[in-house]
Amino acid sequence: MWNQNQLRQQTRRHFFGSAAASTGSLGLGSMALQSLMSQEAGAAAKSELDRNPLAPKPTHFAPKAKNVIFLFMAGGPSQLEMFEHKPKLTELNGKPIPDSFIEGKRFAFMDSSHRINLLGSRRTFKQYGESGAYVSDLLPWTSEIVDDISIVKTLQADLFNHAPAKLFMNTGSGQFGRPSIGSWVTYGIGSECEDLPGFVVLQSGPRGPRGGAVLWGNGMLPSTYQGVPLRNQGDPILNLSTPETVSADQQRRLVDVVNQLNQERLRQTGDGEIAARINAYEMAYRMQTSAPELMDISDEDQETLDLYGIKDPNESTYARNCLLSRRLIERGVRFVQLYDTNWDHHGGPTETLENHLPSKCRDIDQPSAALVKDLKRRGLLDDTIVIWGGEFGRTPMGEVRQNTGRNHHIDAFTMWLAGGGFKAGQVYGETDDFGFEPVENAVHVHDLHATLLHQLGLDHERLTVRFQGRDFRLTDVHGRVVTDLLA
Amino acid sequence: MTKPLLPEITSSRENGRALHGLRLVQIMKTSLRVTIFLFVSVIFFSGSAHSQDSVDFSKEILPLLAENCFACHGFDAEAREADLRLDTVEGATGGKAGGGVIVAGDAEASALVERLRSDDPDLVMPPPETGKSLTADQKEKIIAWINSGASYDSHWAFVAPKRPELPSASQATNQENRHPIDQLVHRRLAEVKLSPAPLADPATLIRRVSLDLIGLPPTQVEVIEFEKAWAKDQEQAWGELVDRLLGSRHYGERWARWWLDQARYADSNGYSIDAPRSIWKYRDWVIDALNRDLSFDQFTIEQLAGDLLPNADTSQKVATGFHRNTQINQEGGIDKEQFRIDSIFDRVGTTGTVWLGLTVGCAQCHDHKFDPISQKEFYQFFAFFNNQDEPSIKVYPEGTDVDALESRRNQVQDQIKKLIDDSADPLKQWEESLSDENKKSISDGVKKVLGKPLNKRGLEEKFSLLIEMNRLAEKSVQSFEAMQEEFLELSRQLNDVPTTMVLSERKEPRKTTVYIKGDFTRPSEEVTPGTLSILHGFETSSDSVTRLDLAKWIVDSKNPMTARVIVNRVWQQYFGVGMVATENDFGLVGARPTHPDLLDWLAVEWVEGGWSLKKLHRLIVTSDTYRQTSKMLDSMEPALAIDADNRLLWRQNRIRLDAELVRDVALTASGLMSSKQGGPPVFPPIPDGVMGQGQVKRSWSVSSGEDRYRRGLYTFVYRGTPPPSLKVFDAPEGFSSCTRRTRSNTPLQSLTLMNDSSFFEFAQSLAKIVEDEGVETAFQRCTSRRPNQVELDLLSGLDSLTVARALLNLDETITRE
Repeated sequence: MWNQNQLRQQTRRHFFGSAAASTGSLGLGSMALQSLMSQEAGAAAKSELDRNPLAPKPTHFAPKAKNVIFLFMAGGPSQLEMFEHKPKLTELNGKPIPDSFIEGKRFAFMDSSHRINLLGSRRTFKQYGESGAYVSDLLPWTSEIVDDISIVKTLQADLFNHAPAKLFMNTGSGQFGRPSIGSWVTYGIGSECEDLPGFVVLQSGPRGPRGGAVLWGNGMLPSTYQGVPLRNQGDPILNLSTPETVSADQQRRLVDVVNQLNQERLRQTGDGEIAARINAYEMAYRMQTSAPELMDISDEDQETLDLYGIKDPNESTYARNCLLSRRLIERGVRFVQLYDTNWDHHGGPTETLENHLPSKCRDIDQPSAALVKDLKRRGLLDDTIVIWGGEFGRTPMGEVRQNTGRNHHIDAFTMWLAGGGFKAGQVYGETDDFGFEPVENAVHVHDLHATLLHQLGLDHERLTVRFQGRDFRLTDVHGRVVTDLLA
Repeated sequence: MTKPLLPEITSSRENGRALHGLRLVQIMKTSLRVTIFLFVSVIFFSGSAHSQDSVDFSKEILPLLAENCFACHGFDAEAREADLRLDTVEGATGGKAGGGVIVAGDAEASALVERLRSDDPDLVMPPPETGKSLTADQKEKIIAWINSGASYDSHWAFVAPKRPELPSASQATNQENRHPIDQLVHRRLAEVKLSPAPLADPATLIRRVSLDLIGLPPTQVEVIEFEKAWAKDQEQAWGELVDRLLGSRHYGERWARWWLDQARYADSNGYSIDAPRSIWKYRDWVIDALNRDLSFDQFTIEQLAGDLLPNADTSQKVATGFHRNTQINQEGGIDKEQFRIDSIFDRVGTTGTVWLGLTVGCAQCHDHKFDPISQKEFYQFFAFFNNQDEPSIKVYPEGTDVDALESRRNQVQDQIKKLIDDSADPLKQWEESLSDENKKSISDGVKKVLGKPLNKRGLEEKFSLLIEMNRLAEKSVQSFEAMQEEFLELSRQLNDVPTTMVLSERKEPRKTTVYIKGDFTRPSEEVTPGTLSILHGFETSSDSVTRLDLAKWIVDSKNPMTARVIVNRVWQQYFGVGMVATENDFGLVGARPTHPDLLDWLAVEWVEGGWSLKKLHRLIVTSDTYRQTSKMLDSMEPALAIDADNRLLWRQNRIRLDAELVRDVALTASGLMSSKQGGPPVFPPIPDGVMGQGQVKRSWSVSSGEDRYRRGLYTFVYRGTPPPSLKVFDAPEGFSSCTRRTRSNTPLQSLTLMNDSSFFEFAQSLAKIVEDEGVETAFQRCTSRRPNQVELDLLSGLDSLTVARALLNLDETITRE
């Protein structure tokens, strides 16, 4: 548990650490500044040691993975159209689900469109790879990588409305104002990147995900750990661009003079917080160059663009975001989250299983598979975890709006994981004949969180922050590491 | 797994423990860091008690037991291991019958001591896997306490504060210093052989106290005049300055934000839909209440139960907006009752945090782990808040006689109705007879009415037809038109008024039950409203107990918590951290006060002086402790070695300004600030694309005129997509009560100050000042002091815009020194 004071020290050390690693970019006075910082850094580290000789190492134990890319299909992709092959469901299409399944359960839209009649999938399923995993005809590219991924069919969540469920998947709680997993991870192990934020969010689809910016919020952790959206239009990071009428030279001089004046004030006041601010200005200045470089993918070869299915390198798409996520990982960014929206196929006019779901699958199938392949061939997959999935899945029962669709389902849904020490070529967990509930190896969202943190070298029970008199953690009072999933 | 406390009761553990209990144990596991920290603070702050060779249970032992033992051997029966509790003397010693793990007066005979000392990982307490452990010193302390009789007394915060005796002036380090705060702070410093720092220079002081009391920097003239006055007579100059600032209407704006953080105020409904809401009248109520120095007890009563006061006026109803600052979920497919209950959980937790400094919310699912608050008590508290409707009310301008307006409107309306009824037939004939040619000369508004079916026409619309008919017939319509105008004006006065969200008590109370594990689908035992038994008694003469009784209980002078909690939270604004560092937890695992006597003295003084916040502010800022320099001087080396975090206040602290004030200072320095007060929230420019991040894209139509340059306090806050330049400086979004802001220091802040279009606009305005009045003036507008030669040299040779941008970016500009 870290109290606020220790957090402050930690934050300062973090910045001092970055300062030590970034040499020479500061103009006048950089030598003096550096020597001051290294002294201060020594003092801060020492005072931290004095304060707490048992200060945790950067990780609680040796990590298997360093980075995470979370491909978030916002809205709840239908596992029954993609990974869950259920002949019995097709056979009993239109029949009511036995009462025993739904007794005492609560669903979204219970008072209106929710139904209890089973809905068989119209997709064709085949087995692929050595693992023999079932994948439907909607995901031809994914079917090629089944031996590189672990398909988990028995995910369980607690909340069945979009925003709370998305929060739950991201923060382990349906309450607004809790830290997201990306914040926890950067809080726990920091970032290796000197000139980009440690936790970056990319978005595709027609609008922002339900819940919005709180999904990558820092909650009660310092805002240093909040997710930073990299935008595809305008400045990639808010206020990244120098104002139009200001020249690059003026901007450099601004940073220099601000830092020199701050250094003078540091001399006058002796407040180490000013040294942290000087360093923040240096990093901000570096970000102004590095973020546009990151977003400019013109240095990628045609073969790579083709692999991801990127037709226009300037067009903002999920495919481009997948490629960007690889580039971010290459630059040492710790946690990258991609949101793709519009996966909510209830059967409304723009949300049918027949037309709109296949279209969404076409958007994400090739790029997601390409990301795994690309990371693998570059040797990045070993220490990068790739996760694919949404906030929940969809019901075996049909829902009737203008068309037949499926309602939200939290008792069993599918996600896949690749790299970062997860077993490759595994299908984990089994559900009943309808895909309603796990019959073995259920994996709760808390368990997923615990397992992800474990692979990053963090004990989910020890990664805590004290707030309003209580220790908070990502997994609340739950969670177990699912060792079956680990290589 | 956790281990049993005693070998002979191993079986009870093997009988099977509830999984839930195990998990609860897990969450309370803490790393060794906290133990060490606690250890340091116990030794450090135990001072005199230690030297007298006696052990103070509340100060030295209880925190150790709470942190290390109570999670499994405390108040919560569900989570209790081995049927052993150490939070009561009976539990620990077995009472008169004996047989407990502690034998009072005989540590060697106490099983507890044996287990503390054991080096067998299966026996030692606390168990290694909890991550907790006791140092040798801490164990010795517990042994000493047992040997001295193992007496249990109450946790300090649960005992009402008494006015402590002040040291005589001769004991204070400075003979002349008679300010009570300084006497107590200096006494504490003297105990560890430290001295207070010299006072800051007058320019720093006026900037400090201006930012602290009104949230705005002083003008150049104010600085110069104050420096002169200070040179003449420091105390008089200071007293006059403080009085002027406390009398400023900006005082309410500054301190409202302190309270609005705690009230989790924002301008939208939250959750995923996050629609805008109208509750700014509550924000203005807070500003106004602070400006007129409404006593804090009344301030409390009106916010918790203003609607229940006899003959409650509008202002008192508006005040109940405090507990309407909860989120409202408007997502499709939800269970409304679930979210109504969630908002009450929030109200209970927030009331506990804000006024009691207790984590009452922890008892929602189970008895509190550390503090003696049962789950049942949580729901008794809940019952106070389970009995209101949640409407919006119209807020008319002051002095509006709504009844008179309504009766006049009805009168006019009846006249109009009669005129129309009387002309029903002619009107019908006229309408039927209208030729296309006739229609050309008819106004568009009337044409539109004619296009509507008869039953869809409103009274006013019918009347416009009647007027038109008469006008075309060349009859005088003057009196009709006057009547129409009056009707419209009356309707506008009655309807076109802001609304605000309030609480309104229901006649028939709702039934309240305990919810098993906090799950609203699992009601159990029914409960009635009640307060916390660990605190002062709850008396009511009435059968029907309401929020008003709760509010009065909270501000009862016997309440040990509220005055201390609020005084501490005011104090923390001035020094960066409270005397109790855990400003939201005064319970058993909360931090102990660094200056218990001072905290109690201030609490008692405040309440006896009539709960006046202005008096409290004045008391604090007139102390030398407040007015010390915040600079690190060479002479402070010894202090740094003993107390690196400056908890004993051997100097002031530099504090980065709150998000809103970062804006306010830049606005003031650049000369753009609007002084307009109150009213609907405004929309200053924000970067493109920000509003698209939420589920529903909200419009952000940039305010024009002076509303573009209002104080940060007035910026519209969507909880889901808060304004980036506020969020980046740690402004809370209003999801839950915020009793202390974090102060981060990040590259995104640098990007904001350098490149954000608003700050660039401020810089352009300041650049003109650089050109017209020189660098020195611009420097002073940002920092309230004259630049030295090094600083002037650094700024020379730069273009005016770069100078202006640099000045607005200085650490000093956004810091209260």
